[in-house]
Amino acid sequence: MSALLRHLRIWLASIRYSLVRAMMFRGDFLMWALVELFWMSVNVLLVGVIYDHTDSIAGWSKYEMLLLVGTTLLVQRLLMAFFWSNLFELGRNVRSGTFDFFLAQPGWPLFMVSTRKFDLDGLVNVPVALAIVIYAAQRLHLDPSAAQILVYAGLVGCGLILHYATLLAIISLVFWLQSAKGIEGGYFGLTEFSRLPREALRGVAQVVFVYALPVVVVSNVPARLLIHGFEPAMLALMAGVTVFWLAVAIAVFHAGLRRYSSASS
Amino acid sequence: MSVVAKYRQVFLTGIQTSLVYRWNFAIRATFSLLHLVYIFILWGAAYAGQTDIGGFPLAATLTYFVVLLILQFFLSAANDDYEISEEIRNGLINQFLTKPINYFAYRLSLYFSARIVTGVLSLLPFLCILPFIGPKLALPAGEHLAFYAVAAPALLLSAFIQFTIAYCFGMLTFWFLEIQSFIILSLAVEAVLGGQIFPLDLMPPWLYQLSSWLPYYYQMYFPTALLTGRITDLSAALQGLAIQAGWALTLFLLARYLWTRGLRRHTAVGG
Repeated sequence: MSALLRHLRIWLASIRYSLVRAMMFRGDFLMWALVELFWMSVNVLLVGVIYDHTDSIAGWSKYEMLLLVGTTLLVQRLLMAFFWSNLFELGRNVRSGTFDFFLAQPGWPLFMVSTRKFDLDGLVNVPVALAIVIYAAQRLHLDPSAAQILVYAGLVGCGLILHYATLLAIISLVFWLQSAKGIEGGYFGLTEFSRLPREALRGVAQVVFVYALPVVVVSNVPARLLIHGFEPAMLALMAGVTVFWLAVAIAVFHAGLRRYSSASS
Repeated sequence: MSVVAKYRQVFLTGIQTSLVYRWNFAIRATFSLLHLVYIFILWGAAYAGQTDIGGFPLAATLTYFVVLLILQFFLSAANDDYEISEEIRNGLINQFLTKPINYFAYRLSLYFSARIVTGVLSLLPFLCILPFIGPKLALPAGEHLAFYAVAAPALLLSAFIQFTIAYCFGMLTFWFLEIQSFIILSLAVEAVLGGQIFPLDLMPPWLYQLSSWLPYYYQMYFPTALLTGRITDLSAALQGLAIQAGWALTLFLLARYLWTRGLRRHTAVGG
Protein backbone atom coordinates (compact mmCIF):
# COMPACT_ATOMS: atom_id res chain seq x y z
CA MET A 1 0.00 0.00 0.00
CA SER A 2 2.83 2.37 0.88
CA ALA A 3 4.46 1.58 -2.47
CA LEU A 4 1.23 2.51 -4.21
CA LEU A 5 1.01 5.78 -2.31
CA ARG A 6 4.65 6.55 -3.07
CA HIS A 7 4.04 6.02 -6.80
CA LEU A 8 0.91 8.14 -6.65
CA ARG A 9 2.93 10.93 -5.06
CA ILE A 10 5.54 10.61 -7.82
CA TRP A 11 2.76 10.83 -10.43
CA LEU A 12 1.30 13.96 -8.81
CA ALA A 13 4.78 15.52 -8.70
CA SER A 14 5.23 14.73 -12.41
CA ILE A 15 1.86 16.31 -13.20
CA ARG A 16 2.78 19.41 -11.21
CA TYR A 17 6.11 19.66 -13.03
CA SER A 18 4.38 19.23 -16.41
CA LEU A 19 1.85 21.95 -15.58
CA VAL A 20 4.59 24.39 -14.64
CA ARG A 21 6.44 23.53 -17.84
CA ALA A 22 3.28 24.00 -19.93
CA MET A 23 2.82 27.46 -18.43
CA MET A 24 6.44 28.30 -19.20
CA PHE A 25 5.86 27.55 -22.89
CA ARG A 26 2.34 28.98 -23.22
CA GLY A 27 2.54 29.57 -26.97
CA ASP A 28 3.52 25.96 -27.50
CA PHE A 29 0.73 24.77 -25.23
CA LEU A 30 -1.88 26.84 -27.12
CA MET A 31 -0.59 25.61 -30.47
CA TRP A 32 -0.86 21.95 -29.41
CA ALA A 33 -4.32 22.50 -27.97
CA LEU A 34 -5.30 23.99 -31.34
CA VAL A 35 -3.77 21.03 -33.19
CA GLU A 36 -5.82 18.56 -31.15
CA LEU A 37 -8.96 20.63 -31.57
CA PHE A 38 -8.47 20.66 -35.32
CA TRP A 39 -8.01 16.88 -35.49
CA MET A 40 -11.19 16.45 -33.48
CA SER A 41 -13.00 18.71 -35.94
CA VAL A 42 -11.76 16.52 -38.79
CA ASN A 43 -13.55 13.52 -37.24
CA VAL A 44 -16.76 15.47 -36.75
CA LEU A 45 -16.50 16.83 -40.30
CA LEU A 46 -16.28 13.29 -41.69
CA VAL A 47 -19.56 12.42 -39.96
CA GLY A 48 -21.15 15.57 -41.40
CA VAL A 49 -19.97 14.89 -44.96
CA ILE A 50 -21.07 11.25 -45.00
CA TYR A 51 -24.47 12.01 -43.50
CA ASP A 52 -24.97 14.71 -46.16
CA HIS A 53 -25.21 11.78 -48.56
CA THR A 54 -26.83 9.07 -46.46
CA ASP A 55 -29.33 8.78 -43.58
CA SER A 56 -27.85 5.86 -41.72
CA ILE A 57 -24.64 3.90 -41.24
CA ALA A 58 -25.33 0.34 -40.09
CA GLY A 59 -28.58 1.52 -38.52
CA TRP A 60 -26.95 4.44 -36.64
CA SER A 61 -28.38 7.89 -37.27
CA LYS A 62 -26.23 11.02 -37.63
CA TYR A 63 -26.41 12.01 -33.96
CA GLU A 64 -25.93 8.45 -32.70
CA MET A 65 -22.79 8.38 -34.82
CA LEU A 66 -21.74 11.74 -33.40
CA LEU A 67 -22.22 10.35 -29.89
CA LEU A 68 -20.00 7.40 -30.81
CA VAL A 69 -17.32 9.63 -32.32
CA GLY A 70 -17.54 12.01 -29.32
CA THR A 71 -16.98 9.09 -26.95
CA THR A 72 -13.94 7.96 -28.94
CA LEU A 73 -12.54 11.49 -28.90
CA LEU A 74 -13.12 11.72 -25.16
CA VAL A 75 -11.12 8.55 -24.51
CA GLN A 76 -8.39 9.64 -26.91
CA ARG A 77 -8.05 13.10 -25.32
CA LEU A 78 -7.54 11.43 -21.95
CA LEU A 79 -4.92 9.15 -23.46
CA MET A 80 -3.19 12.15 -25.04
CA ALA A 81 -3.22 13.98 -21.71
CA PHE A 82 -1.88 11.20 -19.51
CA PHE A 83 0.03 8.65 -21.57
CA TRP A 84 0.63 9.47 -25.26
CA SER A 85 3.87 11.49 -24.96
CA ASN A 86 5.30 9.03 -22.46
CA LEU A 87 4.73 5.96 -24.59
CA PHE A 88 5.63 7.75 -27.82
CA GLU A 89 8.97 8.72 -26.30
CA LEU A 90 9.51 5.19 -25.03
CA GLY A 91 10.15 4.19 -28.64
CA ARG A 92 12.77 6.92 -29.08
CA ASN A 93 14.34 6.34 -25.67
CA VAL A 94 14.90 2.63 -26.19
CA ARG A 95 16.68 3.33 -29.46
CA SER A 96 18.88 6.07 -28.04
CA GLY A 97 19.60 4.36 -24.74
CA THR A 98 17.93 7.13 -22.73
CA PHE A 99 15.63 4.41 -21.45
CA ASP A 100 18.42 3.54 -18.96
CA PHE A 101 17.41 6.69 -17.09
CA PHE A 102 13.97 5.21 -16.33
CA LEU A 103 15.42 1.91 -15.16
CA ALA A 104 17.63 3.77 -12.69
CA GLN A 105 14.69 5.60 -11.12
CA PRO A 106 13.34 4.41 -7.75
CA GLY A 107 9.99 3.09 -9.04
CA TRP A 108 8.34 0.43 -11.18
CA PRO A 109 9.84 0.83 -14.70
CA LEU A 110 6.48 0.67 -16.50
CA PHE A 111 4.98 3.21 -14.11
CA MET A 112 7.94 5.57 -14.46
CA VAL A 113 7.86 5.26 -18.25
CA SER A 114 4.10 5.85 -18.43
CA THR A 115 3.70 8.80 -16.09
CA ARG A 116 6.72 11.07 -16.50
CA LYS A 117 4.83 13.63 -18.59
CA PHE A 118 1.34 15.03 -18.50
CA ASP A 119 0.00 17.00 -21.48
CA LEU A 120 -2.34 19.77 -20.47
CA ASP A 121 -3.22 20.46 -24.13
CA GLY A 122 -4.83 17.02 -24.32
CA LEU A 123 -6.83 17.65 -21.17
CA VAL A 124 -8.15 21.07 -22.24
CA ASN A 125 -9.87 19.40 -25.17
CA VAL A 126 -11.68 16.89 -22.93
CA PRO A 127 -14.52 19.42 -22.36
CA VAL A 128 -14.80 19.82 -26.14
CA ALA A 129 -15.19 16.05 -26.57
CA LEU A 130 -17.68 16.04 -23.69
CA ALA A 131 -19.59 18.86 -25.36
CA ILE A 132 -19.87 16.78 -28.54
CA VAL A 133 -21.28 13.86 -26.51
CA ILE A 134 -23.75 16.13 -24.66
CA TYR A 135 -24.82 17.89 -27.87
CA ALA A 136 -25.44 14.56 -29.62
CA ALA A 137 -27.34 13.23 -26.57
CA GLN A 138 -29.55 16.33 -26.56
CA ARG A 139 -30.30 16.03 -30.28
CA LEU A 140 -31.27 12.39 -29.63
CA HIS A 141 -33.50 13.53 -26.72
CA LEU A 142 -31.66 11.21 -24.34
CA ASP A 143 -32.18 11.63 -20.63
CA PRO A 144 -29.64 9.33 -18.95
CA SER A 145 -30.03 8.52 -15.25
CA ALA A 146 -27.30 9.27 -12.72
CA ALA A 147 -26.42 5.54 -12.66
CA GLN A 148 -26.06 5.55 -16.45
CA ILE A 149 -23.77 8.58 -16.33
CA LEU A 150 -21.67 6.98 -13.60
CA VAL A 151 -21.32 3.71 -15.48
CA TYR A 152 -20.58 5.69 -18.68
CA ALA A 153 -17.71 7.40 -16.85
CA GLY A 154 -16.46 4.00 -15.68
CA LEU A 155 -16.63 2.64 -19.22
CA VAL A 156 -14.69 5.65 -20.51
CA GLY A 157 -12.07 4.77 -17.86
CA CYS A 158 -11.99 1.19 -19.18
CA GLY A 159 -11.63 2.66 -22.68
CA LEU A 160 -8.66 4.70 -21.52
CA ILE A 161 -7.00 1.58 -20.11
CA LEU A 162 -7.69 -0.31 -23.35
CA HIS A 163 -6.20 2.47 -25.49
CA TYR A 164 -3.20 2.59 -23.17
CA ALA A 165 -2.76 -1.19 -23.42
CA THR A 166 -3.01 -1.12 -27.23
CA LEU A 167 -0.43 1.65 -27.51
CA LEU A 168 1.91 0.06 -24.96
CA ALA A 169 1.83 -3.32 -26.73
CA ILE A 170 2.55 -1.68 -30.10
CA ILE A 171 5.31 0.65 -28.91
CA SER A 172 6.95 -2.20 -26.96
CA LEU A 173 7.78 -3.74 -30.33
CA VAL A 174 10.68 -1.28 -30.35
CA PHE A 175 12.56 -3.71 -28.09
CA TRP A 176 12.66 -6.11 -31.05
CA LEU A 177 12.99 -3.58 -33.90
CA GLN A 178 15.80 -1.09 -34.49
CA SER A 179 13.50 1.90 -34.37
CA ALA A 180 9.96 2.82 -33.40
CA LYS A 181 9.65 5.00 -36.51
CA GLY A 182 6.22 4.43 -37.97
CA ILE A 183 5.02 1.71 -35.61
CA GLU A 184 2.90 4.10 -33.56
CA GLY A 185 0.83 4.26 -36.76
CA GLY A 186 -0.46 0.84 -35.74
CA TYR A 187 -2.22 2.44 -32.80
CA PHE A 188 -4.00 4.95 -35.02
CA GLY A 189 -4.81 2.16 -37.49
CA LEU A 190 -6.44 0.08 -34.78
CA THR A 191 -8.25 2.86 -32.95
CA GLU A 192 -9.93 4.02 -36.16
CA PHE A 193 -12.25 1.07 -35.67
CA SER A 194 -13.53 2.60 -32.45
CA ARG A 195 -15.37 5.15 -34.60
CA LEU A 196 -17.34 2.40 -36.32
CA PRO A 197 -20.72 1.09 -35.14
CA ARG A 198 -20.42 -2.54 -34.11
CA GLU A 199 -23.23 -3.46 -36.52
CA ALA A 200 -21.14 -2.30 -39.49
CA LEU A 201 -18.71 -5.17 -38.94
CA ARG A 202 -19.61 -8.60 -40.23
CA GLY A 203 -17.94 -12.00 -40.62
CA VAL A 204 -14.21 -12.14 -40.02
CA ALA A 205 -14.03 -8.39 -39.35
CA GLN A 206 -16.56 -8.79 -36.55
CA VAL A 207 -14.64 -11.68 -34.97
CA VAL A 208 -11.31 -9.82 -35.18
CA PHE A 209 -12.28 -6.24 -34.30
CA VAL A 210 -15.17 -6.83 -31.93
CA TYR A 211 -14.23 -9.99 -30.05
CA ALA A 212 -10.51 -10.76 -30.58
CA LEU A 213 -9.29 -7.13 -30.42
CA PRO A 214 -11.14 -4.64 -28.21
CA VAL A 215 -11.08 -1.73 -30.66
CA VAL A 216 -14.79 -1.58 -31.39
CA VAL A 217 -16.24 -2.31 -27.96
CA VAL A 218 -14.07 0.43 -26.45
CA SER A 219 -16.41 3.15 -27.75
CA ASN A 220 -19.52 1.20 -28.72
CA VAL A 221 -20.28 -0.07 -25.23
CA PRO A 222 -20.33 3.37 -23.53
CA ALA A 223 -22.21 4.96 -26.46
CA ARG A 224 -24.79 2.17 -26.49
CA LEU A 225 -25.23 2.55 -22.75
CA LEU A 226 -26.43 6.12 -23.25
CA ILE A 227 -28.56 5.27 -26.29
CA HIS A 228 -30.04 1.89 -25.36
CA GLY A 229 -29.57 1.65 -21.57
CA PHE A 230 -27.84 -1.13 -19.63
CA GLU A 231 -26.73 -4.24 -21.51
CA PRO A 232 -25.11 -6.51 -18.85
CA ALA A 233 -23.42 -8.78 -21.40
CA MET A 234 -21.72 -5.77 -23.01
CA LEU A 235 -20.58 -4.41 -19.66
CA ALA A 236 -19.11 -7.79 -18.73
CA LEU A 237 -17.37 -7.97 -22.12
CA MET A 238 -15.86 -4.52 -21.61
CA ALA A 239 -14.59 -5.36 -18.11
CA GLY A 240 -13.20 -8.70 -19.29
CA VAL A 241 -11.31 -7.35 -22.30
CA THR A 242 -9.92 -4.44 -20.27
CA VAL A 243 -8.31 -6.77 -17.72
CA PHE A 244 -7.14 -9.22 -20.40
CA TRP A 245 -5.55 -6.66 -22.76
CA LEU A 246 -3.88 -4.73 -19.97
CA ALA A 247 -2.29 -8.02 -18.80
CA VAL A 248 -1.18 -8.79 -22.38
CA ALA A 249 0.37 -5.31 -22.85
CA ILE A 250 2.23 -5.52 -19.54
CA ALA A 251 3.53 -8.98 -20.48
CA VAL A 252 4.76 -7.71 -23.88
CA PHE A 253 6.50 -4.76 -22.21
CA HIS A 254 8.26 -6.97 -19.68
CA ALA A 255 9.27 -9.47 -22.37
CA GLY A 256 10.79 -6.54 -24.23
CA LEU A 257 12.45 -5.25 -21.10
CA ARG A 258 14.24 -8.58 -20.68
CA ARG A 259 15.69 -8.12 -24.22
CA TYR A 260 16.85 -4.58 -23.58
CA SER A 261 20.60 -4.24 -23.27
CA SER A 262 21.01 -0.45 -23.42
CA ALA A 263 22.27 1.42 -26.48
CA SER A 264 24.35 4.34 -27.49
CA SER A 265 22.99 7.33 -29.35
CA MET B 1 32.36 15.46 -59.72
CA SER B 2 29.45 16.50 -61.96
CA VAL B 3 26.26 17.87 -60.46
CA VAL B 4 24.29 14.77 -61.47
CA ALA B 5 26.90 12.37 -60.06
CA LYS B 6 26.95 14.32 -56.79
CA TYR B 7 23.24 14.06 -56.13
CA ARG B 8 23.07 10.51 -57.52
CA GLN B 9 25.51 9.56 -54.76
CA VAL B 10 23.24 11.25 -52.20
CA PHE B 11 20.29 9.37 -53.68
CA LEU B 12 22.09 6.01 -53.44
CA THR B 13 23.18 6.71 -49.86
CA GLY B 14 19.58 7.61 -49.08
CA ILE B 15 18.39 4.27 -50.47
CA GLN B 16 20.85 2.44 -48.19
CA THR B 17 19.80 4.49 -45.16
CA SER B 18 16.12 3.86 -45.85
CA LEU B 19 16.71 0.14 -46.28
CA VAL B 20 18.07 -0.02 -42.73
CA TYR B 21 14.50 0.75 -41.62
CA ARG B 22 12.87 -1.64 -44.10
CA TRP B 23 11.03 -3.53 -41.38
CA ASN B 24 9.56 -0.33 -40.02
CA PHE B 25 8.32 0.66 -43.46
CA ALA B 26 6.93 -2.83 -44.03
CA ILE B 27 5.15 -2.75 -40.66
CA ARG B 28 3.80 0.73 -41.39
CA ALA B 29 2.52 -0.47 -44.75
CA THR B 30 0.90 -3.49 -43.13
CA PHE B 31 -0.73 -1.26 -40.51
CA SER B 32 -2.04 0.93 -43.31
CA LEU B 33 -4.03 -2.10 -44.46
CA LEU B 34 -5.98 -1.66 -41.22
CA HIS B 35 -6.93 1.80 -42.42
CA LEU B 36 -8.07 0.25 -45.67
CA VAL B 37 -10.23 -2.28 -43.83
CA TYR B 38 -11.75 0.62 -41.86
CA ILE B 39 -12.44 2.51 -45.10
CA PHE B 40 -14.06 -0.55 -46.72
CA ILE B 41 -16.30 -1.12 -43.69
CA LEU B 42 -17.27 2.55 -43.19
CA TRP B 43 -18.05 3.31 -46.82
CA GLY B 44 -19.60 -0.11 -47.38
CA ALA B 45 -22.03 0.67 -44.54
CA ALA B 46 -22.63 4.22 -45.86
CA TYR B 47 -23.50 2.85 -49.31
CA ALA B 48 -25.92 0.24 -47.92
CA GLY B 49 -29.28 0.71 -49.66
CA GLN B 50 -28.03 3.14 -52.30
CA THR B 51 -26.12 2.74 -55.56
CA ASP B 52 -24.11 5.95 -55.51
CA ILE B 53 -22.85 8.71 -53.26
CA GLY B 54 -21.96 12.01 -54.88
CA GLY B 55 -22.48 10.40 -58.29
CA PHE B 56 -19.95 7.62 -57.72
CA PRO B 57 -20.63 3.93 -57.02
CA LEU B 58 -19.04 2.15 -54.05
CA ALA B 59 -16.33 0.53 -56.23
CA ALA B 60 -15.18 3.96 -57.47
CA THR B 61 -14.94 5.35 -53.93
CA LEU B 62 -13.04 2.31 -52.64
CA THR B 63 -10.67 2.51 -55.62
CA TYR B 64 -10.09 6.18 -54.80
CA PHE B 65 -8.98 5.33 -51.26
CA VAL B 66 -6.77 2.39 -52.32
CA VAL B 67 -4.96 4.48 -54.95
CA LEU B 68 -4.65 7.38 -52.50
CA LEU B 69 -3.09 5.14 -49.87
CA ILE B 70 -0.55 3.70 -52.31
CA LEU B 71 0.31 7.19 -53.58
CA GLN B 72 0.82 8.37 -50.01
CA PHE B 73 3.64 5.87 -49.60
CA PHE B 74 5.24 7.02 -52.86
CA LEU B 75 4.74 10.76 -52.38
CA SER B 76 4.25 11.78 -48.73
CA ALA B 77 7.16 13.65 -47.23
CA ALA B 78 6.64 11.67 -44.06
CA ASN B 79 9.75 12.56 -42.07
CA ASP B 80 11.62 15.11 -44.13
CA ASP B 81 10.38 18.13 -42.16
CA TYR B 82 11.56 16.62 -38.86
CA GLU B 83 14.91 15.61 -40.31
CA ILE B 84 15.53 19.07 -41.77
CA SER B 85 14.52 20.60 -38.46
CA GLU B 86 16.95 18.34 -36.59
CA GLU B 87 19.77 19.17 -39.00
CA ILE B 88 19.25 22.88 -38.46
CA ARG B 89 18.87 22.59 -34.69
CA ASN B 90 21.90 20.34 -34.25
CA GLY B 91 24.07 22.45 -36.55
CA LEU B 92 24.45 19.65 -39.09
CA ILE B 93 23.62 22.08 -41.89
CA ASN B 94 26.88 23.90 -41.17
CA GLN B 95 28.75 21.38 -43.31
CA PHE B 96 26.63 22.35 -46.33
CA LEU B 97 27.46 26.01 -46.00
CA THR B 98 31.12 25.47 -46.81
CA LYS B 99 30.72 22.81 -49.48
CA PRO B 100 29.48 23.02 -53.10
CA ILE B 101 26.24 21.25 -52.20
CA ASN B 102 22.81 22.77 -52.59
CA TYR B 103 20.88 21.86 -49.45
CA PHE B 104 17.50 21.84 -51.24
CA ALA B 105 18.79 19.49 -53.95
CA TYR B 106 20.47 17.34 -51.29
CA ARG B 107 17.24 16.94 -49.32
CA LEU B 108 15.22 16.42 -52.50
CA SER B 109 17.54 13.55 -53.50
CA LEU B 110 17.05 11.98 -50.06
CA TYR B 111 13.27 12.47 -50.34
CA PHE B 112 13.15 10.59 -53.66
CA SER B 113 15.30 7.75 -52.34
CA ALA B 114 13.16 7.31 -49.21
CA ARG B 115 9.93 7.45 -51.22
CA ILE B 116 11.13 4.76 -53.63
CA VAL B 117 11.97 2.41 -50.76
CA THR B 118 8.72 3.05 -48.83
CA GLY B 119 6.64 3.00 -52.02
CA VAL B 120 8.01 -0.32 -53.25
CA LEU B 121 7.80 -1.91 -49.79
CA SER B 122 4.22 -0.71 -49.39
CA LEU B 123 3.27 -2.48 -52.59
CA LEU B 124 4.09 -5.89 -51.09
CA PRO B 125 1.18 -6.05 -48.61
CA PHE B 126 -1.10 -4.51 -51.23
CA LEU B 127 -0.16 -7.22 -53.72
CA CYS B 128 -0.94 -9.84 -51.05
CA ILE B 129 -4.47 -8.53 -50.56
CA LEU B 130 -5.15 -7.66 -54.19
CA PRO B 131 -6.92 -10.98 -54.94
CA PHE B 132 -9.37 -10.20 -52.10
CA ILE B 133 -10.03 -6.52 -52.76
CA GLY B 134 -9.55 -6.55 -56.55
CA PRO B 135 -13.18 -7.55 -57.34
CA LYS B 136 -14.43 -4.61 -55.22
CA LEU B 137 -12.43 -2.04 -57.18
CA ALA B 138 -13.08 -0.37 -60.54
CA LEU B 139 -10.63 1.70 -62.54
CA PRO B 140 -11.95 4.03 -65.26
CA ALA B 141 -12.57 2.63 -68.77
CA GLY B 142 -10.14 2.85 -71.75
CA GLU B 143 -11.28 6.29 -72.91
CA HIS B 144 -9.77 7.69 -69.70
CA LEU B 145 -6.23 7.29 -71.13
CA ALA B 146 -5.85 11.04 -71.76
CA PHE B 147 -6.30 11.62 -68.01
CA TYR B 148 -3.50 9.17 -67.25
CA ALA B 149 -1.28 11.29 -69.50
CA VAL B 150 -2.13 14.33 -67.37
CA ALA B 151 -1.65 12.27 -64.18
CA ALA B 152 2.02 11.52 -65.00
CA PRO B 153 3.28 15.13 -64.68
CA ALA B 154 0.70 15.72 -61.91
CA LEU B 155 2.34 12.97 -59.85
CA LEU B 156 5.80 14.49 -60.27
CA LEU B 157 4.52 17.95 -59.37
CA SER B 158 2.64 16.46 -56.43
CA ALA B 159 5.88 14.91 -55.15
CA PHE B 160 7.64 18.24 -55.57
CA ILE B 161 4.88 20.11 -53.70
CA GLN B 162 4.87 17.52 -50.91
CA PHE B 163 8.60 17.83 -50.45
CA THR B 164 8.71 21.61 -50.74
CA ILE B 165 5.99 22.09 -48.11
CA ALA B 166 7.90 19.78 -45.76
CA TYR B 167 11.11 21.69 -46.55
CA CYS B 168 9.44 25.02 -45.75
CA PHE B 169 8.20 23.66 -42.41
CA GLY B 170 11.73 22.44 -41.66
CA MET B 171 13.02 25.96 -42.40
CA LEU B 172 10.77 27.33 -39.65
CA THR B 173 13.34 25.90 -37.19
CA PHE B 174 15.43 29.00 -37.92
CA TRP B 175 12.73 31.02 -36.14
CA PHE B 176 11.04 28.55 -33.77
CA LEU B 177 12.54 26.09 -31.30
CA GLU B 178 9.80 23.52 -31.81
CA ILE B 179 7.98 23.04 -35.11
CA GLN B 180 6.19 19.73 -34.48
CA SER B 181 2.89 21.42 -33.68
CA PHE B 182 3.02 23.40 -36.96
CA ILE B 183 3.62 20.16 -38.84
CA ILE B 184 0.79 18.24 -37.15
CA LEU B 185 -1.60 21.15 -37.70
CA SER B 186 -0.61 21.26 -41.35
CA LEU B 187 -1.10 17.49 -41.56
CA ALA B 188 -4.66 17.90 -40.29
CA VAL B 189 -5.39 20.60 -42.87
CA GLU B 190 -3.75 18.46 -45.54
CA ALA B 191 -5.76 15.41 -44.47
CA VAL B 192 -9.03 17.27 -45.03
CA LEU B 193 -8.19 19.53 -47.98
CA GLY B 194 -6.00 16.88 -49.61
CA GLY B 195 -8.89 14.44 -49.77
CA GLN B 196 -7.47 11.87 -47.37
CA ILE B 197 -10.50 11.80 -45.08
CA PHE B 198 -13.14 11.85 -47.82
CA PRO B 199 -13.09 12.55 -51.57
CA LEU B 200 -13.21 16.35 -51.91
CA ASP B 201 -16.01 16.17 -54.49
CA LEU B 202 -18.36 15.10 -51.67
CA MET B 203 -17.97 18.51 -50.04
CA PRO B 204 -20.43 21.31 -50.85
CA PRO B 205 -19.59 22.70 -54.35
CA TRP B 206 -18.42 26.11 -53.07
CA LEU B 207 -16.00 24.46 -50.64
CA TYR B 208 -14.74 22.12 -53.35
CA GLN B 209 -14.12 25.10 -55.66
CA LEU B 210 -12.28 26.93 -52.90
CA SER B 211 -10.12 23.90 -52.07
CA SER B 212 -9.09 23.54 -55.73
CA TRP B 213 -7.19 26.82 -55.48
CA LEU B 214 -5.15 25.67 -52.47
CA PRO B 215 -1.89 23.69 -52.64
CA TYR B 216 -3.29 20.85 -50.49
CA TYR B 217 -5.68 19.87 -53.29
CA TYR B 218 -2.65 19.16 -55.49
CA GLN B 219 -0.77 17.11 -52.94
CA MET B 220 -2.94 13.99 -53.12
CA TYR B 221 -6.47 14.58 -54.31
CA PHE B 222 -5.66 15.88 -57.80
CA PRO B 223 -3.43 13.01 -59.01
CA THR B 224 -5.65 10.42 -57.29
CA ALA B 225 -8.80 11.88 -58.84
CA LEU B 226 -7.14 11.85 -62.28
CA LEU B 227 -6.16 8.20 -61.89
CA THR B 228 -9.51 7.02 -60.53
CA GLY B 229 -11.89 8.87 -62.83
CA ARG B 230 -13.23 11.45 -60.37
CA ILE B 231 -12.13 14.24 -62.71
CA THR B 232 -13.84 13.63 -66.04
CA ASP B 233 -13.42 17.00 -67.75
CA LEU B 234 -10.13 17.21 -69.67
CA SER B 235 -10.04 21.00 -69.71
CA ALA B 236 -10.54 21.01 -65.92
CA ALA B 237 -7.68 18.48 -65.64
CA LEU B 238 -5.35 20.69 -67.72
CA GLN B 239 -6.37 23.76 -65.76
CA GLY B 240 -5.62 21.84 -62.56
CA LEU B 241 -2.19 20.90 -63.91
CA ALA B 242 -1.44 24.56 -64.62
CA ILE B 243 -2.50 25.62 -61.11
CA GLN B 244 -0.43 22.76 -59.68
CA ALA B 245 2.65 23.94 -61.62
CA GLY B 246 2.01 27.45 -60.31
CA TRP B 247 1.94 26.20 -56.73
CA ALA B 248 5.12 24.14 -57.28
CA LEU B 249 6.94 27.26 -58.48
CA THR B 250 5.51 29.45 -55.70
CA LEU B 251 6.50 26.99 -53.00
CA PHE B 252 9.96 26.57 -54.49
CA LEU B 253 10.49 30.33 -54.38
CA LEU B 254 9.17 30.41 -50.81
CA ALA B 255 11.59 27.63 -49.84
CA ARG B 256 14.52 29.58 -51.31
CA TYR B 257 13.40 32.74 -49.53
CA LEU B 258 13.10 30.98 -46.17
CA TRP B 259 16.56 29.40 -46.60
CA THR B 260 18.17 32.73 -47.43
CA ARG B 261 16.42 34.60 -44.61
CA GLY B 262 16.92 31.73 -42.18
CA LEU B 263 20.67 31.59 -42.79
CA ARG B 264 20.92 35.23 -41.76
CA ARG B 265 19.60 34.24 -38.33
CA HIS B 266 21.63 31.05 -38.13
CA THR B 267 24.65 30.86 -35.89
CA ALA B 268 27.08 28.03 -36.59
CA VAL B 269 28.70 27.01 -33.33
CA GLY B 270 30.78 24.10 -32.14
CA GLY B 271 34.04 22.57 -33.30
